[in-house]
Amino acid sequence: MFASIEDVITRFATHGYIASRRLATVVYLATGMKKPVLVEGPAGVGKTELAKVLALAVELPLVRLQCYEGLDEGKALYEWEYAKQLLYTQILKDKIGDVLRDTSTLAGAVERIAREDAVFFSERFILPRPLLKAISSDRPTVLLVDEIDKADQEFEAFLLEVLSDFQVTVPELGTLKANHIPLVVLTSNNARELSDALKRRCLHLYVDFPDRDQELAIIGAKAPEARRELAEEVVSVVQSLRKLDLKKTPGISETLDWIKALTLLNIESLDHELVSETFDAIVKYEGDVRRAQEQLKEYLRGARARRGQGSDRDLLN
Amino acid sequence: MDQKLIEFAGLLRENGIRVSLAETLDAVEACQRVGLGDRESVYAALRCTMVKRASDAEAFDRLFAFFFSGLGEIIKQAGQAVQRELELSERELQELIDRLAKLLAERGDELSALARELLSEDSARLEERIREAAKQIRRLFPGEADGAYRFRLRLAEAIDLRALERERAKILQAVDESRHDPLTRARMAHYVERRFNALEDILRRFAAGETGEEARRERNVQGLSEKSFHYMTEEELDRIREAVTRLAQRLKNAASLRRHNSRRGRFDAKKTLRRSLRWGGVPFDLRFDKRKKDKPQIVVLCDVSDSVRSVARFMLQLVYSLQDLYWRVRSFIFVADLAEVTHNFRANDVGRAIDLALNGSVLNVYAHSNFGRAFRIFVENYAGIVNKKTTVVVLGDGRNNYNLPGDQFLGEIRRRAKQVFWFNPEGRATWGFGDSEMERYALQCDVVEECRNLNQLYRVVDRLVAR
Ligand SMILES: Nc1ncnc2c1ncn2[C@@H]1O[C@H](COP(=O)(O)OP(=O)(O)OP(=O)(O)O)[C@@H](O)[C@H]1O
Ligand SMILES: [Mg+2]
Repeated sequence: MFASIEDVITRFATHGYIASRRLATVVYLATGMKKPVLVEGPAGVGKTELAKVLALAVELPLVRLQCYEGLDEGKALYEWEYAKQLLYTQILKDKIGDVLRDTSTLAGAVERIAREDAVFFSERFILPRPLLKAISSDRPTVLLVDEIDKADQEFEAFLLEVLSDFQVTVPELGTLKANHIPLVVLTSNNARELSDALKRRCLHLYVDFPDRDQELAIIGAKAPEARRELAEEVVSVVQSLRKLDLKKTPGISETLDWIKALTLLNIESLDHELVSETFDAIVKYEGDVRRAQEQLKEYLRGARARRGQGSDRDLLN
Repeated sequence: MDQKLIEFAGLLRENGIRVSLAETLDAVEACQRVGLGDRESVYAALRCTMVKRASDAEAFDRLFAFFFSGLGEIIKQAGQAVQRELELSERELQELIDRLAKLLAERGDELSALARELLSEDSARLEERIREAAKQIRRLFPGEADGAYRFRLRLAEAIDLRALERERAKILQAVDESRHDPLTRARMAHYVERRFNALEDILRRFAAGETGEEARRERNVQGLSEKSFHYMTEEELDRIREAVTRLAQRLKNAASLRRHNSRRGRFDAKKTLRRSLRWGGVPFDLRFDKRKKDKPQIVVLCDVSDSVRSVARFMLQLVYSLQDLYWRVRSFIFVADLAEVTHNFRANDVGRAIDLALNGSVLNVYAHSNFGRAFRIFVENYAGIVNKKTTVVVLGDGRNNYNLPGDQFLGEIRRRAKQVFWFNPEGRATWGFGDSEMERYALQCDVVEECRNLNQLYRVVDRLVAR
């Protein structure tokens, strides 16, 4: 799949994803060892994007299962299409009458119908949900199980079973075994601790907020229209905001939103008076906005001081 | 390599990071795939296969750095230590080194290659030289590669440490006689001293690593799971706190699973058929048997006196988790008085709740503990909340300051309760000595357990859940 760790880095880069060496190593190993990856980390650091880009990089279809509280096997695996079944029985009423024509007893009729019910519980009437899609696909897929921590404990146990055997049992159809083992990426925001059993089966990747250089590189990839000087200012401020104890720490998506907004408004530097109007791109809560404003002022003061010094030196030289 | 990894897994386990056999095998395969050339990739490979909890990451990093510190890494670390000590930036240090080199060159003193490598921080050459020496020793004295001490002596001999000592004096004299300002001279001298000492240090660490002795030493220091809470450092306490949180989480998961499974009860075919008669035999209304689960009722009495200060926090954390888990929990803390904290624990997050319990606003925590009195107060005021479904849990060391033991009050509690558990943070061997009334109290309990380290804490929690 990937020839080397470097190969992961370059192919991810062609799809606009800046992969650290650590991340690339885990991806390289996961594809080689055919093991699921469990990606944990704060919101907006590129966990979901990782799976999407992986699918692009290996040119396989992405199947996504979004988890939420109350998600159950039915919604994840398959459902019978009752409406379609009903419709068919209506249309085929006459045919059913034919089948039952020469029976006189009720028991006989039930027996007849029972013989035919395989018709209705066949793959024709099954509505595959993501897990079944990934398993029964005739090509390998990338299966993204997004935000597994939001699903209930029981669902996790069920998922564990599926990920161990890569087969599922539909009572009416028997056991369906995967033709290809999908590349599985699970993501978690740590809303709750996942079970040890699940963790044991996965390679674990902890993704944190990017460092300065990485974040600049991401801006370069995702918002190439932004000016470099502005990007540096934005990254400085965002990185310092992450050190504060905000209600919602800005992720990469917020950085990108912000710089795009600034660029759109033709703002070239953060001491522009319109900057505070773009703040809702980066901080969402009122209290956070206030603290971000203070942080920005602080930053500008520092920047001005540095620039002042710089020009003094210029004069001396 | 496999052998080394298995040993590493063992080291992790002894430090409280749970690595299964399957995960160790994964680690071996991962290492084969990334190759051993690049330290960073080996690190990533091991980390993603062996560490599954963010909270274990720090311990892992430390153990990795320690276990896989090759000679190059040791030399680098030694260099960094010197730089830190001199409080110079990298550039300033380089300047100092350059000036020193110039000074020595001007004097025309002939320096040995080793001294030059050492003073110019030529790590690569130095590493090569030491490795070469080690190889020779193995060849010439095969038996001596086993013990760190002898191995180090042989190494020192092979690279001629004694000659280097003589050079040290010569160089220091040169620095002293130079025309640099006193501060620079002092710095240079310090640098020379530190670098020469560093070499000894490097040899010692290298020898220890090569002979595996250091790994064993580290292990003894780090066996957290069996270490008593009393002797832990702040950092270790932090890790324990995390472990307790994890424990609580696991408890909660187990409980919620159990609840879910029992929510509906089993399908009851008979009842369903009986009901179906109303609709002409169509089983329209499915019936489930309702198994009534008796709700767990727990009363916790937690000692927060000075003698259990370091443990009180875990105890309270445990109490908090219990309360979080089972909603029929009443929590009390006591020293000489006794006060209920159920509401406080319900209304606050865990950190704040514990702070409130310990800061003296609920009851005087600086008094001398008096278990007897506390039990009496409990019986007089709260006996009514204990019934045959209640499990009473006492957390405390049973050190009663020679007050009246009051074990009859504990007996009274037990008569009313389903059972009484006592968990003691003090070693069993000391129970009954001095002012400990533990043996007397034990007679009034159904279960008495020592709870003074992480493993025992795990056991205690298991008991509580299994009730
Ligand atoms: N390393 C990266 N290179 C390029 N773009 C990135 C990188 N990391 C994140 N992004 C961008 O940041 C945005 C947020 O990423 P994503 O939605 O994957 O985050 P997430 O970790 O899944 O967050 P959440 O926990 O909220 O779901 C995306 O627009 C993505 O393109
Ligand atoms: Mg996401």
